Amino acid sequence: MIDKINEIKQEIEQFNIDSDESLEAFRLRFLSRKGKVQAMFGLMGDVPNKQKAAVGKAMNEVKNLAQSTFEQAKEELTSAQKKTFGALDDISLPVEPAYTGSFHPLTQALNQIKEIFLRLGFNIADGPELEDDFHNFTALNFPKDHPARDMQDTFFVRKSDDENTDDLVLRTHTSPVQIRLMKEQAPPVRSIMPGRVYRNEAVTAKSYFQFNQVEGLYVDEKVTLGELIETLVMFSKLMYGSDVKYRVRPSFFPFTEPSMEMDIWWENEKGGQWLEILGAGMVDPNVFEAVGVDPEKYTGYAFGMGVDRIAMLRYGIDDIRLLYDNDIRFLQQFES
Amino acid sequence: MKISYNWLKEYIQTDLIPAEAEEKLTLLGLEVEEVEEIGSDFEGFVVGEVLDVRNHPNADKLVLCDVNTGEETVQIVCGAKNVAAGQKVPVATVGSTLPAPMDDGSYLTIKKAKLRGEKSSGMICSEVELGLGDDHSGIMVMKNNLKPGMPLKEALNAEKDTVFEIGLTPNRPDAACHIGVARDLSAIVDGSLKSPYHSVPEPKRNLDDEISISIKDSDKCHRYVGLIVDNVEVKESPDWLKQRLISIGLRPINNVVDVTNFILQEIGQPLHAFDYNLIGGKKIVVQSFEDDKKFTTLDSIERTVPAGSLFICDGNGPVAIAGVMGGENSEVTEETTKILIESAWFEPSSIRKTSKSLALQTDSSYRFERGIDPTMQLKAARRAAELIAELSGGTIYEGFVDEHPVKYEPKTVPLRVARINHLLGTDLSEDRVVSILNNLEFETEMTGEGALMCTVPPFRPDVTREVDLIEEVGRVFDYNNIPRPDTAPFITPQPLADSEIFHEKMRAMTKSLGYKEISSNSLLSKKEALLLADEKSHVDTLNPVSQENTTLRTHLAGGFMKALHYNLNRNAENLRFFEIGHVFKKSDDSTWIEGVQEHVHLLLGLCGNKKQTDWRGEAESYTIFDLKGDLEAVLNNLGISDRISRKTEGNHKLTYLLEGTRVASLHIAHEKWLKGFDVEKDAFVAEVDLTLLNNLGASRSDITYQPVAKFPTFEFDAAFTVDQTVRAGELTQEIKQTAGKILKDVSVFDVYEGKNLGENKKSIAFRLTFLDSNKTLNIRDVEPVVQKVVQKLEKTFGAKLRS
Repeated sequence: MIDKINEIKQEIEQFNIDSDESLEAFRLRFLSRKGKVQAMFGLMGDVPNKQKAAVGKAMNEVKNLAQSTFEQAKEELTSAQKKTFGALDDISLPVEPAYTGSFHPLTQALNQIKEIFLRLGFNIADGPELEDDFHNFTALNFPKDHPARDMQDTFFVRKSDDENTDDLVLRTHTSPVQIRLMKEQAPPVRSIMPGRVYRNEAVTAKSYFQFNQVEGLYVDEKVTLGELIETLVMFSKLMYGSDVKYRVRPSFFPFTEPSMEMDIWWENEKGGQWLEILGAGMVDPNVFEAVGVDPEKYTGYAFGMGVDRIAMLRYGIDDIRLLYDNDIRFLQQFES
Repeated sequence: MKISYNWLKEYIQTDLIPAEAEEKLTLLGLEVEEVEEIGSDFEGFVVGEVLDVRNHPNADKLVLCDVNTGEETVQIVCGAKNVAAGQKVPVATVGSTLPAPMDDGSYLTIKKAKLRGEKSSGMICSEVELGLGDDHSGIMVMKNNLKPGMPLKEALNAEKDTVFEIGLTPNRPDAACHIGVARDLSAIVDGSLKSPYHSVPEPKRNLDDEISISIKDSDKCHRYVGLIVDNVEVKESPDWLKQRLISIGLRPINNVVDVTNFILQEIGQPLHAFDYNLIGGKKIVVQSFEDDKKFTTLDSIERTVPAGSLFICDGNGPVAIAGVMGGENSEVTEETTKILIESAWFEPSSIRKTSKSLALQTDSSYRFERGIDPTMQLKAARRAAELIAELSGGTIYEGFVDEHPVKYEPKTVPLRVARINHLLGTDLSEDRVVSILNNLEFETEMTGEGALMCTVPPFRPDVTREVDLIEEVGRVFDYNNIPRPDTAPFITPQPLADSEIFHEKMRAMTKSLGYKEISSNSLLSKKEALLLADEKSHVDTLNPVSQENTTLRTHLAGGFMKALHYNLNRNAENLRFFEIGHVFKKSDDSTWIEGVQEHVHLLLGLCGNKKQTDWRGEAESYTIFDLKGDLEAVLNNLGISDRISRKTEGNHKLTYLLEGTRVASLHIAHEKWLKGFDVEKDAFVAEVDLTLLNNLGASRSDITYQPVAKFPTFEFDAAFTVDQTVRAGELTQEIKQTAGKILKDVSVFDVYEGKNLGENKKSIAFRLTFLDSNKTLNIRDVEPVVQKVVQKLEKTFGAKLRS
């Protein structure tokens, strides 16, 4: 009996319906009162009681198949009459993905840094890339004969022996924005300063004559070094994961005292190494004096980091030149 | 700067293993940048005496040696040709491991073995196998007076060492020597500093008969000490001294020069040894000259030393460039028998200037230009003289010369304990502070409740203020130990600057239009910059890194064109870029710096195919109208479309004005640009001045909801015939102005040119869309407005309505 049912099932599946005529032929053969499905149910009487349930189930399945095949074919015939299905209607034909916009990896890294510091209550400030000596060096406590003031290290746009004419340089760091900010605004000040900076360096895989920094400044009446470290730790955890291993160690910058650098532990195939990620310190009293802030009343911290370096670490970019070549095969990898 | 850990341990007793010392030094601010393991303790290696050498019965190239290793005599199979009875040789005994790796990087451990059937218990080693040199021609043959069985470590005076490369910050001249580094370490470990420097008693006689020393330029030379050692035999230094110098990468020269170098590395006092007999007129004069001087330094290079540089002269002229390098004319050689030791204090900036102008940095100038201890000259000279006398068999002349025109005055700096805790966020007691400072050799005196007067040690010229002392306390306490606040209160945040919000909005908007952000050089070549703007607006650097990067960009278009060149050369097809960045122009309309306009621009650019050839059809190239649509979308998004007017400039450029100010431009890249930047496809560029837009208030988008129109729009089509020279933009603008508020939109739905229109004529068909928010419009409402428009266009442009 089951064989017989399967035979009908197979017949239904193989029936080709491609016109109104064949649709009607299908109906007559299977679904009409004299059709095969009805006839099949007529044989139920011959089935032993023990098998009735199983056979009944199989028969119902065949009946449902016949009905759904009929309905589906009918619907397809109706719509096919409206529009013929041509070779170009094949939805499986391939297309190129649409061209999408993207942010440069430097922007993506910077955005992440900005987002973190906005959460930590910092504002964002900016300033010019072409700076004068006062803002870039003098106010930041760089002594007159500091090596950074050499032509070998810094791009000059104007260099004058006349004391009344300030030298003009392409800023070597974003710290001059701190000076502008403190001159403009009495404490409290809490801001980061992202921007492009320049150093007179040959272009190699490791160095470039322009790169990007983010600096931060917080000046208020009771700002401590402990608070600075806490802020940097919060940043590192948000940037590199809450399990990041870090350390701070003494360093030297003309514009901060005490000065420090922060390292994070970077795993690699050889095990790992400490990588310096930022410099920081307490604003030097001489800097406060230069901008007319009382260093007895106010204390402050400042920190700075390289965005290029962070982006390179983050994305495993091993050649800084890639960041400025604008090769579309490079840019396409940052479409997030 | 290299520091040998074995050497360091001469001055401080410590059990720290090198890795611990490395970490401690780094956390003290003497960052260890690299660590190198050198040498070996040669455990299980002894001196052996070769008693007998016999042929190997089964191998031509091998011999059998009986070797006395002290406790026993063993048979060793050896393959070296130079082995011979009677030699003293280094032997690796059974169980020892060779210090130098084999070719595959692994280390060989010596086992009892049978080689071609003959027993071998040990190995006679070559220099290469011991990691001592490159000589692999045969086994190493040692001095014959060595005793068999003597540990090789002892025989070679060898030891395992760790060398730290320290990245010294410019504020720490005191740590540019082994004792200085040991002193820092002594501040945080048990064990006090042991210094071999002692004060020198006043002599019974002076050296006036032997040498006269005078300082003419006392601004640049505060002190000059001279000592004489006679009867010296200049020869090779002993192993211990050579080893010290080699460990930190210095080349031993002879026992006199090596001692001066040793003292420099030990205490940081640069010394110079002159051949006394080559000093003319028995006198030394320290002076500078008003003219440039030609002078041959002891590296046999003739240098032109600029005017004002300090020299050490004898009766005939210069014999050394002070603090930088001695002269060939007074150099210590193997013939030298009597030497003058110079130990001086030179003014840091003077040495820095000379060293920089000569592009010659020496171990000596490196220390002088950072500032050395002004009290160490005599002690260092005396220790050098003693060592030289000891190593060369010389005799030290009784007495010394100590010219000291500028005396050192110890600095005192007041320190408040409360201020330390205020700045660091610590809770340090006075006792703790005093102990830290004393360990660093700062003397402290209580001057009141929580108030100290600190005397700065002479080797710390960098410490002049209270805050400098606070840094000393902080770094020794270790910044990592500073308690961090559980909560860090901070000020109420202020709103972000309009420009910041605006730039980020523009960046996001441009990306949403499908542009990829690029980041191009701010510095262009002169040739490239000239393509973008007149020379008179260029801001140039005086010292460009190369001729490719001399001039600050006046527009972002240059960087875009260069990016096109780069990518088209690499067969890219579809280039759709944007950039936001600073541009620079000389202008009276200064932004920050007088005479320079520094604005932020947005660039959008297109080049190539927007669609490649595929089953849907042929490739489609970008046109200027693709870019125009995107640029207008940007302006429209800012809600300033109504305030913008457009002006054509030639056939390649459309300028956008916001209430009369040029704020944006749209270009078809000119032939000149395509050629200049070597771009072989059509390119389209739009540049928007975001600074101007921000200044004109276009950045503030105050969106207020407007009810959606309840009534339908009414559309009216009208085609006009005009001269070819009349621009569609002008007509559109005129239509808008004439029709007034009721006109909601104007579009062009057809442009046609044909002979039936007449010579040099074209037809432009406009669709005018009218809307009244209060009622449904019909033709009677619109007709008078259309009439007005038709009349106006006819009057202004000679436009004829086509019916």
